[in-house]
Amino acid sequence: MPQQNAAPGGPLTVVGTRGPNIDAVERVTGRAKYTGDIDLPGMLVARVLRSPHAHARIASIDTSKAEALSGVRAVVTYREAPKVMIWGHRQYALNDRVRFKGEAVAALAAVDPETADKALKLIDVQYEVLPFVLDPEEALKPGAPQLFPDGNLEGPPRILTRGDVEQGLKAADTVIERVYHCPTMWSGSMEPRVAIAQWDGDYLTVWASSQSPFRVHGSLAAMFNLPDGNVRIIASYVGGGFGTKSAPHADEALAAMLARKARLPVKLQYSREEEILDSNTRFQTRMYVRIGVNKDMTLQALHVKAYINQGAYHTRLGGLGNQATHIYRIPNVKTEQYRVHTNIPNTGPTRGVGDPQETFGIESAIDEIANEMGWDPMEFRLKNIKRNGDPIARGGSGTEDGRLVTQVLHRCIEEGAARIDWNRRNNIPGSGSATPKARGIGVACTERGGGGGLAGASVKVNLDGSAHVFYASTDIGTGSRTTLAMIASEVLGIPLANFRTTAGDTEVAPYDNGSHGNRTLQGTGRAVEAAARDCLQQILAAAGPMLNNATPADLEIRDSVVRVKADPSRNVPLRMVMQRRGRSVIGDGGTTAPQTGVDVERTSAAHFVEVEVDKETGKVRILRYVSAHDVGRPINVTIVENQIEGGTIQGLALTQGEELRFDPRTGACLTASFVDLKPPTALDFDPRVIEAVIIPNEGVTGPFGGKGLGENPCHPGMAAVANAIYNALGVRLREVPFTRAKILAALEQRTGVRTA
Amino acid sequence: MSDKERKHADTFSASRRSFLKGGAAATGALSASLIPGTAEAQLPEATTPDPHRSTIEMRVNGKAYRKEIANRTTLLQFLREDLKLTGTKMGCDRLQCGACTVVLNGRNVYSCTTLALEASAGDVLTIEGLATDDKLHPIQQAFVEHSGYQCGFCTSGQIMSTKVFLDRSPQPTEDQARLALSGNLCRCAAYKRILESVMAASRLLRA
Repeated sequence: MPQQNAAPGGPLTVVGTRGPNIDAVERVTGRAKYTGDIDLPGMLVARVLRSPHAHARIASIDTSKAEALSGVRAVVTYREAPKVMIWGHRQYALNDRVRFKGEAVAALAAVDPETADKALKLIDVQYEVLPFVLDPEEALKPGAPQLFPDGNLEGPPRILTRGDVEQGLKAADTVIERVYHCPTMWSGSMEPRVAIAQWDGDYLTVWASSQSPFRVHGSLAAMFNLPDGNVRIIASYVGGGFGTKSAPHADEALAAMLARKARLPVKLQYSREEEILDSNTRFQTRMYVRIGVNKDMTLQALHVKAYINQGAYHTRLGGLGNQATHIYRIPNVKTEQYRVHTNIPNTGPTRGVGDPQETFGIESAIDEIANEMGWDPMEFRLKNIKRNGDPIARGGSGTEDGRLVTQVLHRCIEEGAARIDWNRRNNIPGSGSATPKARGIGVACTERGGGGGLAGASVKVNLDGSAHVFYASTDIGTGSRTTLAMIASEVLGIPLANFRTTAGDTEVAPYDNGSHGNRTLQGTGRAVEAAARDCLQQILAAAGPMLNNATPADLEIRDSVVRVKADPSRNVPLRMVMQRRGRSVIGDGGTTAPQTGVDVERTSAAHFVEVEVDKETGKVRILRYVSAHDVGRPINVTIVENQIEGGTIQGLALTQGEELRFDPRTGACLTASFVDLKPPTALDFDPRVIEAVIIPNEGVTGPFGGKGLGENPCHPGMAAVANAIYNALGVRLREVPFTRAKILAALEQRTGVRTA
Repeated sequence: MSDKERKHADTFSASRRSFLKGGAAATGALSASLIPGTAEAQLPEATTPDPHRSTIEMRVNGKAYRKEIANRTTLLQFLREDLKLTGTKMGCDRLQCGACTVVLNGRNVYSCTTLALEASAGDVLTIEGLATDDKLHPIQQAFVEHSGYQCGFCTSGQIMSTKVFLDRSPQPTEDQARLALSGNLCRCAAYKRILESVMAASRLLRA
């Protein structure tokens, strides 16, 4: 490898520092333009007619009166919808059958919102109402209403096996059997979905609030049968995503259909209720867990049977199975997952996809068996977690064909335990219950990979020596503009202040899979690093003749000065090199999946929480929360801590609310507002008690040893709190959220009844 | 007929039919300003003013505006659509999230559920009016230095609530700050750094 700035192992000047985001001023002055802030001349307003039924066939649909209304410019129904699925293989932009209450039936564009609202009422739809089903297990029973011709079960069950689980459970000294349930939960962001579409002949531009512009690009190109070059997706500033914006959705397609028909630009802005109902939700998960241990504190067998409610359509299938098998050494494992369609809204990835739900089940079960055996739950974990060099599955099978590297989960546990002062916890669960307010401490571990999928980026160095990073994943609040520019700054020796970034634009940046699944740093970040090194080589080659024909290997750039490494007094400003060269330098970088060979790199964490439960009211107060994370080498420490703190509160949010509840009589969502979902405010959890801890480490696949992080902080909250409540009260909560009513009911039940 | 359409129609009917033919069918929206170069005296008298529209005057970020709007227009719509001040965001349109918070006559209000009419004759401050001469306001400076945001979508609202709070409570406690900002949701849950930003801002403002 040629000599380079910031060689691996060399001193780093940018990576690993703290500091504000490079776009901080735009964000605090209101200058940052989010999709909904874009105003195009002649732009029409779109509205969507939504199904009043949970399940129905559209018998007839008459849009003539709406079309005749003055000011209406286009109306579309399933008849106009391109016969190309939006994403996955179940849903067109509009369908002749609706499978949840709130599904789009028709869309229209008009000159203003009032006209559009009025026109919606003029669309005459006759429905043939069908029976519906809301629960995944009910949906698998004979005679259940069927959503699709091939049934409600989506594909074959995902089954991972290793060893012989039945044999292992039979041979184990103790086995417990438990059921853990997470309901369907909200997964949205502060910015509701919004899409603006504009056609120029057969060239389509869509401004989308997307995490993955190229996924939208591919979807719309296929839908309208356009070459890639005729589509441009722009997602510059995105007001949060959390998974709901990681895949193409109906809104982008509807805006494009309407704009094509109306021959004018169209904005489709979802209301908050639409965003909650027709985006995607965190899927309901019911896990039947059997876990067996031997008296020597070793895990022997684990069986998980999970039913995942995929709703009417899915942007991602539930993918449980890693939390137990990647974290712990267990000789006999079987995980079965049934992904089932029901008549509730779409499901899809939500910060961690299924990991928070799975972590709740697994980490509760681990805690339960440890308590059952009288073991310290932390010691039990330390004894059974995988360590570096242990076998681990590389792919989606149960076969452990890889080897774990750069794992520091044990250090996360040890450091977290020290900070929370684990030894203070009740040795006998519930023994703090003599007082009206009982305290308890709990722990939960988690893990995830990162960086999968194709990544690309380019870096341009301008004639004045300033630089620009172009990438088509996005900054959804994760600070990727800053982190990626810091990587390029470190490589190029150009100060961060001299960088600009263009994010989320499919016309100016190379293909990239998008920002989801812990992948922006390890995927796009590696691409940016490669692109910056490409620039560096070109610049050093151009500088050689200006420095007595020094070879690139002898040169480096520091603070925008190209200099001879051996004699820094021989130097030339970068700007002079660029002007002499007379052309901008453009570097190109791309990667595929970063895992290579048998080495498997994962990102893990341990969360410790101390709670105080008021036994009279059932109120749970978080007294202290330590989130100890492996992030590899942090690129920007401030951003990493901010992600950990925010993600931790998002995980805690799932313990108190955010549940989408459905009326069993109508299938209507009863909680489609912030008032009902109760996402946490600054008062719900005291943010000061949350401590983000970065465990020193260096990865091998990410840029400068960094690891993707975004998903993980959200995983352990439910399990950690359930375990802490058990430690405080001696009662076990196996159904999220942990409402006061559930806690009080569990306390009542405990009287005279042994719980575990 | 929609507001926009009505305006188009009024212009059309006034110039091509009603006015040229000397008819008196013009609606209340018809005014001299719609027909440039026409002296007011020549206009037919507006007989029935449109009860659904009003003219409002408002000071926004120190600048005086006089606009005719539909009565139903919210302050949020007025700011974003009429004045093109898009720094104020729509998060729920239901008084539930605070992304649309602006300062009206010294009080922080949810602009999504404040009618522009209610704010008529009022003094409005939005995120765009906080910085002066390209210099960040100390509150903005504090939010930058302490990374008091992630995606930034709620940030304008957080900052405007902070402005009112610190105007009233220059030396707040952290708990007072949490309470004062509890009407502003942050889904990224950057609450720890928002709180640090508010406290840092109070120190900057006192310095």
